[in-house]
Amino acid sequence: MLISFSVQAQQGKCCSTPSTKSKEKTVQLPETSIYQLDHQWQDQSGKSIQLADLQGNPVILTMIFTHCEYACPMMVNDLKQIESQFTDKHSKTKFVLISFDHERDIPERLNEYAGVQGLGENWLLLHGNAEQIKEISLVLDISYEQLENGSFAHANKKFVLDQNGTILFEQEGLQTKAEPVLKALNKLL
Amino acid sequence: MRNFKVIVLVCSLLTGLYLPAQENMKRIPAGSYKPFIKGLTENVNVDAFLLDTVQVTNQDFLEFVEANEQWSPKNIKAIFADSAYLIHWPENDWQNESKTANQEPVVNVSWFAANAYCKWKNKRLPSLHEWEFAALAMPVNSLDTNVLTQINHSWYSRKSHTQQNVGSVYQNQYGIWDMFGLVWEWVYDFNSVVSSNDSRNKEEIASGFFCGSASLNASDASDYVSFIRYSYRGSLKGNYTTRKLGFRCAKSIEEN
Repeated sequence: MLISFSVQAQQGKCCSTPSTKSKEKTVQLPETSIYQLDHQWQDQSGKSIQLADLQGNPVILTMIFTHCEYACPMMVNDLKQIESQFTDKHSKTKFVLISFDHERDIPERLNEYAGVQGLGENWLLLHGNAEQIKEISLVLDISYEQLENGSFAHANKKFVLDQNGTILFEQEGLQTKAEPVLKALNKLL
Repeated sequence: MRNFKVIVLVCSLLTGLYLPAQENMKRIPAGSYKPFIKGLTENVNVDAFLLDTVQVTNQDFLEFVEANEQWSPKNIKAIFADSAYLIHWPENDWQNESKTANQEPVVNVSWFAANAYCKWKNKRLPSLHEWEFAALAMPVNSLDTNVLTQINHSWYSRKSHTQQNVGSVYQNQYGIWDMFGLVWEWVYDFNSVVSSNDSRNKEEIASGFFCGSASLNASDASDYVSFIRYSYRGSLKGNYTTRKLGFRCAKSIEEN
């Protein structure tokens, strides 16, 4: 029997948030926005990007690695199923795949993967260093561990983020239903 | 007496050749150990590294917060620390050193705050394996293999909420104080144990740590104190803060 501990998430509700963003287009982010992480990532085209650059777009986000043979293709497939039900109103929605594998998933590899998987321009595949991967995994509460063979054991979760990067909905598992994700997403549109 | 001084001086110089000079840190030699949760796998190797001899204190952390305003109780963002962050510091008077700066281990700090502190010190949080490996060392002058368990048992069953200063419980054979007995400690990759609560990739997940499999995979099923520790880590999130959780920093040893 697993012992349960009374560690409670106590989300801060108080106080104004001092802005740390200097970009003109950025309105003040909520304290709970994952875009508070201001790391520089590289997308599959090699372009440098901060998560906050996604501000204004509804986002469906998950973490994968491209050498993953089992879970990640299923996760990507789940996301494609969601996309297949998109209509015109979903034109601003982005899919964001953040790689666990900072060593092998360099932009070239991510680009190749996007090609093989047939992922469109609304998909961003992100490469970052070990530290920023750790930090994003912690705000998403995704456990992972690199195994000796170089692959990763990891939790499978997908998230719907609102236009300011606050997590609106999360879904665990693989081969999951698209409807709950679409329902959460449609609230944003 | 003079000879003694010379010997001390020579020893210090010699030590300086082998140990990177680092204030208040000790070298943990390379080694391997069998992690509690890895009953089905081989030993894990740990490279030599430096570890703080004591946990980070309120005084240390006050210096950090004063130098880095974004980590003050007022400015901290909810995604990096929950609302209990540094709640034991006097609310509107935390900068009053006579009230805040003491030698008790700082608690009510999140992983993000602990990680930022260590980076500020040009250090890092220890990995889970580093911490566990260093914690295996026996107290100095002790040959009784049960003594660590006894320290843990008495710690777990202690009802008093009063805190003690760092460096007050026991020093282990590497010269590290209070790995058990004061407060729990953050490790860098505390979320590296993928539990059954996470939807699992059956092909790639090694041994989990949870209910049924814990008893199967644990390298020592009777190691209840380790079971508690791993369970506790598994219950944490990066922005959690609690009054029983602090940290210390580590540092890699640069190869010349």
